[in-house]
Amino acid sequence: MKLQSHYNKASVIGAICVLFIATIGYYFLLNNVLTDQVDDALAVEEAEVYDYIKKHDSLPDESVYEDQQLFFVKKTGPSFREFNSLKIYNPEEKETESHRQLVFTLTVHNEQYVATIRKSTESGQDLLWLILFSTLPMVLLLMIIVYFIKRYLERKLWRPFYVTLSSIKKFNLSAPQNITTQPTNITEFKELNESILSMTDKVRKDYQSLRRFTDNASHEIQTPLAVIHSKLDILIQQPELKEDSMELIEHIYSSVEKLSGITQKLLLLTKIEQQQFSNKEAVSISSIVNEKITEMQDWIKSAQLNVVIHGTDGQIQMDKDLATILVSNLLRNAVQHSSPGTDIIIETSAEHLEVTNAGIESLDSSRVFDRFFKGDDSSGHGLGLSIVAQICEQYGFHYDYEFRKDKHIFTVWFL
Amino acid sequence: MRLLIVEDENELAADILLYLRQEKYICDRALNSRDALSRIEMHEYDCVLLDLNLPDGSGLAILQELKHKNRNDGVIIISANHSLTDRINGLKLGADDYLVKPFHHSELAARIEAIIRRKMHAGHTVISWNEISIDTQSSEVSIHEKPVELTGKEYQLLLFLLANPKKVITRAALINHLWNESIDSEDNFDFIYTHIKNLRKKLQQSGCKDYIKTVYGIGYKLVDK
Repeated sequence: MKLQSHYNKASVIGAICVLFIATIGYYFLLNNVLTDQVDDALAVEEAEVYDYIKKHDSLPDESVYEDQQLFFVKKTGPSFREFNSLKIYNPEEKETESHRQLVFTLTVHNEQYVATIRKSTESGQDLLWLILFSTLPMVLLLMIIVYFIKRYLERKLWRPFYVTLSSIKKFNLSAPQNITTQPTNITEFKELNESILSMTDKVRKDYQSLRRFTDNASHEIQTPLAVIHSKLDILIQQPELKEDSMELIEHIYSSVEKLSGITQKLLLLTKIEQQQFSNKEAVSISSIVNEKITEMQDWIKSAQLNVVIHGTDGQIQMDKDLATILVSNLLRNAVQHSSPGTDIIIETSAEHLEVTNAGIESLDSSRVFDRFFKGDDSSGHGLGLSIVAQICEQYGFHYDYEFRKDKHIFTVWFL
Repeated sequence: MRLLIVEDENELAADILLYLRQEKYICDRALNSRDALSRIEMHEYDCVLLDLNLPDGSGLAILQELKHKNRNDGVIIISANHSLTDRINGLKLGADDYLVKPFHHSELAARIEAIIRRKMHAGHTVISWNEISIDTQSSEVSIHEKPVELTGKEYQLLLFLLANPKKVITRAALINHLWNESIDSEDNFDFIYTHIKNLRKKLQQSGCKDYIKTVYGIGYKLVDK
């Protein structure tokens, strides 16, 4: 739910509550005012009754009009004077009508009477409802107008925020583009933009220094490795070396080469990330596959694997070296992790490359393309597939790993 | 034949010197580009081994200087940088080869040999080792002047062994040489046996002595019986 909707929800609920309470309050207020007016009128009538008694020394005539009645009842008791409201059924109109009356005691010729002056308040009630019902639509209209104005303003006011947000979504640490913001005079958004810019700036600097560090470290490691390697080359020329020493040296060799392979591959990953391979040319994936399979023929034969290549040829626009690395890493991965006597199936088309090899159980598909991820039996360094992934990401290719029917299936879609 | 090793890493330069001196080469060394430039002023070299990262500038400047003077010295770039663009740039500037550190000395020796053959001995490209002789121009191998049929890999293998006579060559070095980068030596190298076995058999069938000695646990050595 959007922030604006939350606001709107709260304000609509609030407005309805306020309107409801205000209407009730308004009703009682108006009702009170109307009743006071009627009471004043009744008091005036009362004064007239007293005037008449004073002048004529007798009770005035009783009068029964529709909206005002005056009558007297002979009655003894303590004197009182009170206003009250009552409803009386009107048989002509077949409805109950509200009235207000003033009941008081008076004495004429030592005779005690109770006088009642009664006025219909029906017209006042009608006025009251009229006022209420005409106010309600006005208030509703006002609310709707306020809602739309608010919505328009919010859209306009929040624009800088949405510009920043969409820019953050597109942000890529290794791409040179920075976050774009829209100039605004709203303090909060201005602060937000400034903080985001300074944060991304810092993150980018840290990232670059980290990358530089990886780069430098890899380079610096390479020289001592070359020295170790070179010393081993000299060492094995010693005539007095025994067989078991040779085996030890062999292990040192392979570790040195492994280490050097890792640093070289890390350097390669950095270079792909830095987009140092920017040549684009038409590359035929299936001819690279054929070329690589021919190169690897001896290895495939010694691993007793059967390679099946099928599919159509197609040209893809990309860097040729990267295409070669992509294909060769996928093929090497398949050859390296296949058991003797199984098939490697390679399918190519203008849209995809799929390499399938036999396996026993699925690899962790969420991590198989991660750096340094290795299967349990893998002797590799776990960088080959992450290089594949990096190349794919560079070109926006989709890549996937799947385990189906005892087969590892690696697919790259060149789309 | 005279070589110049331009390499600022003292230990590495010393080892290369030691390895190559045992062969037929006279080696000079330079630890920086100033030194290297003055040495190429003094001598023509059959081959210059050039490190790109020198303390006083890039080795590429030396390469440019050589090309500028129209010199015919062979140049092998040896660099810690595995970048393909560096390789291409180096080769574009006129280097004959590019070798990434760390490398096998045997590989270096084979590359130097190949360059010298190409550059200096135009028309005279026959390598001989006892009764074996190889015409590198036509890729023909003969034993006691009788031709032997070898496969491509066997031929490359023999050439590599002959470039490093009396030296222990590791299986990893052989694999790197024969299969380039398509197979990591860490992967598996059983299949090298087959090629060695076949080569031996073919040579012996043609009346050649078995000069290829297996050095147990590590590799092979071409010995003079």
